[in-house]
Amino acid sequence: MLAKRIQPMVFQARRLYVELMFQVMGRALQAVSEVDEKVQNEARALPDGFLFEMMVMPDGSKLIVEHTGQGRFRYHGDKAPRPVDLSIQFKHIAHAFLVLSFQEKTSVAFANDRMLVDGDISYAVRMTRVLNRLESFILPKLIAERAVKEYPADLHLPEKLISAARIYLKVATNFVETVRA
Amino acid sequence: MTNKYYEFFCPVKVIAGKAALEHIPYELTGMAAKRPMIVTDKGVRAAGLLEPVIAACEESGLEITSIYDDVPPDSSTTVVRDIAGIYRQEKCDSIIAVGGGSAIDTGKAVNILVSEGGDDIAKYSGAGVLKHPLKPFFVVPTTAGTGSEVTSVAVITDEAKGVKLPFTSSFLLPNAAIIDPRMTLTLPPHITAATAMDAMTHATEAFTCMAKNPLSDAYATSAIKKISHSLLHVMDNPKDSDGRLELAQASTMAGIAFSNSMVGLVHALGHATGAICHLPHGLCMSLYLPYVLEYNLETIREPLGELLLYLEGPEVFAATPAGRRAEASISAIRKLRDALYKRCQLPRTLKETGKVTEDQLDHIAEMALDDGSIMFNPKEVTLEDARAVLRRAWA
Repeated sequence: MLAKRIQPMVFQARRLYVELMFQVMGRALQAVSEVDEKVQNEARALPDGFLFEMMVMPDGSKLIVEHTGQGRFRYHGDKAPRPVDLSIQFKHIAHAFLVLSFQEKTSVAFANDRMLVDGDISYAVRMTRVLNRLESFILPKLIAERAVKEYPADLHLPEKLISAARIYLKVATNFVETVRA
Repeated sequence: MTNKYYEFFCPVKVIAGKAALEHIPYELTGMAAKRPMIVTDKGVRAAGLLEPVIAACEESGLEITSIYDDVPPDSSTTVVRDIAGIYRQEKCDSIIAVGGGSAIDTGKAVNILVSEGGDDIAKYSGAGVLKHPLKPFFVVPTTAGTGSEVTSVAVITDEAKGVKLPFTSSFLLPNAAIIDPRMTLTLPPHITAATAMDAMTHATEAFTCMAKNPLSDAYATSAIKKISHSLLHVMDNPKDSDGRLELAQASTMAGIAFSNSMVGLVHALGHATGAICHLPHGLCMSLYLPYVLEYNLETIREPLGELLLYLEGPEVFAATPAGRRAEASISAIRKLRDALYKRCQLPRTLKETGKVTEDQLDHIAEMALDDGSIMFNPKEVTLEDARAVLRRAWA
């Protein structure tokens, strides 16, 4: 009985968590592309103006980033200025929650058919590498190891701390600017 | 509770064995199809492989309405459009693809156009675009390797844009796959070897990569056992139809396995090598398999060790300490490759192919890193890792 009453609240909390994580990730993608050279090199292969979307099917939370050139991303919130070029779609919010709460690695979610790719698969592979790199920076190592297939052996604590601090600062600034606007 | 989850899907009716071709008329009639079109290539026709298909249909009073026998090795959007035009002109109502990967992929793409309408196949490119079942579609494979008869994917080249268009939908799966040993009896030795090693790689990667699951495991292990038992026997006795059937069935089983659990780095490297150096796919698979297994070894030690049972049989498996079985599996694959090299000079290194230069390795590594298969490789692959595997595979 109690479980039945609590269930809608749990669903609501899960939806809000996924929405918040998409907002953080979108801003963090923009930030990491300003901070990390490896991410910039990965992103440079994407066409200028390339729009990437991550969303929950059928019409749930989403994040949209654009490659503006020179390996830099710009976060567009959940509104795309034109049709997206690549969309990674979670089949259900429960699957998005598993990944975004680091209970299931992104690569495992792909292998488990939790997500669909609509667009050029080679760009999806590239964006997955970018997401892995981002997660390795911004998550504590113990949690990052649950999120990525393999924690990068060459990412040492000083580099991780400095990069993470810069990324979080940029994310926070972006949040403040959004609220002010 | 574990997070383990998997999906498995294969609705293809498999019609396999002696006189399997003779079931085609009955199966077509069962789907109310009366005017089938055959899609094939010149090589298949020249090898006389169409005759038994046509005879099987005519004997049952079913006329083949049209035959298109000019599918190129890399099928294009233009070819697909042309075949669809003939299909409509001749008022066909079903398709029988007879051939290897290219003829089968072309058959799948033609089926999209004639079922959905229009002339622009590029419109249907991508995953999940198709929403309805297509026209009756049968596949008669003439090689034992690609497994295309049980996969829901087709790849067609868009000549104008110079890109390969992927099509993915469960509606692309044929209604039936007809596995008849007569269709592979005349395969030359090097193609028999390369295609069988393609199937071996499908099964091995299906069993060791990230999306492995209990159902695909069952198909993968059976396929490996059949190939290990029959390949060298068929190389020595090419006219042995029982052995040929074993290899053909193994190819289909490996196809069912990998289409449900995907493949990994061997395929990523193989696709890149095929695109850059124009080497046949099966050859690339055979070439890279042991080097990639060595690279993945510590991540896949347990499943790879299990494969020793199917590669070498129970005696060798029992006599090998558990901790050495993974290495013994790799040795078994190397031994098989050596035996094939002795019989038909199937290359074991990039240098032995004579078609790859050392300065192409970096390009191959870069391209492999963007291949979709790499997502399912159990170990994360960096550019340096891919280069290292290629250097080991060089000579």
